[in-house]
Amino acid sequence: MNSFDEFSRPEEYVSPGIKHFRMVLRNLIEKEVMPLRRRFDEDWDEHKLIEPLFDRIMGNKGLGTQKSLFPEEVGGWGLGHSDHLGGFAYAMAEEVGRADTGFAVAFLVTLWPLLTILVEPHVNWRLAREFAPMFCNSDKAVFAAMCMTEPQGGADIENLELLKGKTIRTTARLEGNEWVINGHKLWPTNTGGVADLMAVPCTTKPGSDNPDDYALIFVPADTKGVTQGRPYEKAGMAADKNSDIWFEDVRVPSWYRAHGPGTDAKVFMKFIIPLGNVGSMGMLVGAMLNLYERLYEFVSTRTYNNRPLKENDAIAGLIGKIAGDIDVCRVIGHEASMIIDRRNKPYGKPLDSPEVIGKTRNMKKFIADTAVEDFGLAMDVLGVYGVDRDWDIEKHWRDIKMIQLWMGGKQLCQMEATRYFYNCKTL
Amino acid sequence: MNKKPDDVFIYPKTWINEDARGFVATVEDWARKEIISKRLEYHKEYKRLFAEKRKKLLFDIGLDKIILPEKYGGFGWNTPGRAPDMFSVFLEIGKADATIGFMAAIKSACLAIIAMEPGIDESLLDELVPKYFSEEPKNVAVILPGPGILNVETPLFMGRSIMASVKSTKAGNTVVGKDLRPTGGGADADLFCVVCADKAKKPCIAFVPSDAKGLKKGKPIKETGLNACTNADVSFEEVKVPKPYLVKRDNAVQEIYAWLNLLFGGISLGAAINFYEILYDWADTRTIKGGGRLKENPLCASVLADVAEEISSARLLGLGLAHIMAQSGDKGGVGSPSVYTFAQMIGSSMQKGALAALNHGMELMGSAGYAKEWHVEKHWRDIKTIQAYLAGVGSDIPVKMDIARFFYDLKEV
Repeated sequence: MNSFDEFSRPEEYVSPGIKHFRMVLRNLIEKEVMPLRRRFDEDWDEHKLIEPLFDRIMGNKGLGTQKSLFPEEVGGWGLGHSDHLGGFAYAMAEEVGRADTGFAVAFLVTLWPLLTILVEPHVNWRLAREFAPMFCNSDKAVFAAMCMTEPQGGADIENLELLKGKTIRTTARLEGNEWVINGHKLWPTNTGGVADLMAVPCTTKPGSDNPDDYALIFVPADTKGVTQGRPYEKAGMAADKNSDIWFEDVRVPSWYRAHGPGTDAKVFMKFIIPLGNVGSMGMLVGAMLNLYERLYEFVSTRTYNNRPLKENDAIAGLIGKIAGDIDVCRVIGHEASMIIDRRNKPYGKPLDSPEVIGKTRNMKKFIADTAVEDFGLAMDVLGVYGVDRDWDIEKHWRDIKMIQLWMGGKQLCQMEATRYFYNCKTL
Repeated sequence: MNKKPDDVFIYPKTWINEDARGFVATVEDWARKEIISKRLEYHKEYKRLFAEKRKKLLFDIGLDKIILPEKYGGFGWNTPGRAPDMFSVFLEIGKADATIGFMAAIKSACLAIIAMEPGIDESLLDELVPKYFSEEPKNVAVILPGPGILNVETPLFMGRSIMASVKSTKAGNTVVGKDLRPTGGGADADLFCVVCADKAKKPCIAFVPSDAKGLKKGKPIKETGLNACTNADVSFEEVKVPKPYLVKRDNAVQEIYAWLNLLFGGISLGAAINFYEILYDWADTRTIKGGGRLKENPLCASVLADVAEEISSARLLGLGLAHIMAQSGDKGGVGSPSVYTFAQMIGSSMQKGALAALNHGMELMGSAGYAKEWHVEKHWRDIKTIQAYLAGVGSDIPVKMDIARFFYDLKEV
């Protein structure tokens, strides 16, 4: 095998546009992000090193990816009406995740809430036009955040299919032509002072399990009453800042609600969960491709019993398992992206269907569990060098654990998958 | 949590010598009062408080000399019969801070080969004790056999490359080795315990003071965990060490491995037990599905059970190993093939069990397990670091070869 890129992927799933985009993105990532990534941990609070790199990927003087979802009419790339949305999302996650999954999530989460207002057939043109200048005309990176998790319920917000927003405590009250928002959220990516725009799942009627009472409202970060806390110190993912965020009588125009009763819950289920899963898979597989690169070097140049590690039958069994896992996971990741891109085909499934949610949750869980196991194993193969940041594997090991834990974590993935596969009614 | 972990994770307490229980309780008290109950403050001012609390443990409580014979100011715990006591002490330290335990464990394991009965080496103890057991902490780093380099044929210790060599003359010994990777703590070490190959390519152990001429430390290495002790590669450019500083006794390397496996196992289990306490409190107050108590959910309960099961099994295994080491006299000693094999086997299992407990529990805790403020992620990183260090190279394959060699009389592996 000559390159990490020879791990299997269904070639017919990869459009020429995605192939070209991958090469451009890879070139930038290899030249500018990879040489600095070992210093990200110390830059977790200030982002002095990290911020200019985001400008290169997201801003107009760089690749300009932050405008990718916006329609061409307002200055974007028009990815929101592309049949290759899932493929692009997966490709971006894999390419950037190969360097640093914390960097990948901060950049991709900017696109995440925008999916709910920029993807056909749910384009909210008023908001598209209103937010386009912020993202499309900036040389600097502009970030968005999806503020879901609340202190009391952990993963309950993400468990919309079962709980239907019943546990949400962040309230939105319509006063005249303004929404008034009150609540407390935890952990959104791109908080801690980073985000310029936030999407906030709220309830218009606390305790209601009527999806009509679920409201997804956009809030500019500089709105009066929005307070972001200090970034949390974490085990890894230094390029991704997270904090508490409080909304105290925050007033935004009434049209900042993504769509309206019923549709807000629908777009959340359609885009946030399945594409969140696809992005997570891309990041994990990207990190695993880099694991292969670094492990290949180590097992080819270091010895046990005076023979290269890779030529020892027993060690070959371990590293062979890792490579085999990467091969399988990459195929699964691409298949997940195609589940998204088949959504408008006669044989496709609606993205908010239990089938798509259950299957993408299951795929994400499988890849996350496999990645956690393989990174741990690889660190042990490197032994005393496995914990050394210069070999890159330990940093990925710390980072990818977070991917296993986010979006409701492993147990919610298990429940949503089981709910679909076994037609469970109460899980 | 209103229960003592020892009342939950039951184990054969009678295997711990009665006269040691007071000392174990003192260390437990230190762990609770000095660190566990003040986690936030400890985290915020880690560098200063680490040094302060460690010093208190080493000198006020006396851990530093735990391995030394009474003649040298030690406890008189310098017999393999004290293995269960040592295991218990290091388990208590691990609950508080694995790095404090790790640094003490390396010092104890390396010194065990000259301080423990029946292999007491008074000529070397006379040299080392005054210099390295003073009133300020003195650190020891160990360089074990590990990965070799492509196209460089090296002497082997059971398949692992011995990257340092020693030449002995009447005047003394000369140690040579380039860019060697210690099992942690290389940058901070005052004394190196180096597994070398002699002229006959047999393994032996050289003690090399860090200020010896020709010893060069590389740049500090950023590592996953155990961050209060910094590692660095070390080169020995024709480093001269006095004659008594070389230990050529058979099975001394195996003895170091045995002690490291036992004590590192205790530390990782201590960290896992403290994690259990944190998880207990977390699960007690969290809700799921809009109001139900998380721990009463069957799926979550099964994960909680996994955590308890891993820790319970690993603790019993660890005490089992300690008991085997305590009774090792009739098997040929701590470095004998059978005890060495069991130490490697059980040591590896303990690390896997402790890490599995953390991994499962973190999956339940979600982001709380990942944020530094919950003190879980530090235990997770520290245990993983210890596990990788112990693996040395090739994951658990070298240990599996040790096991197969012993149980099936392999000749070539």
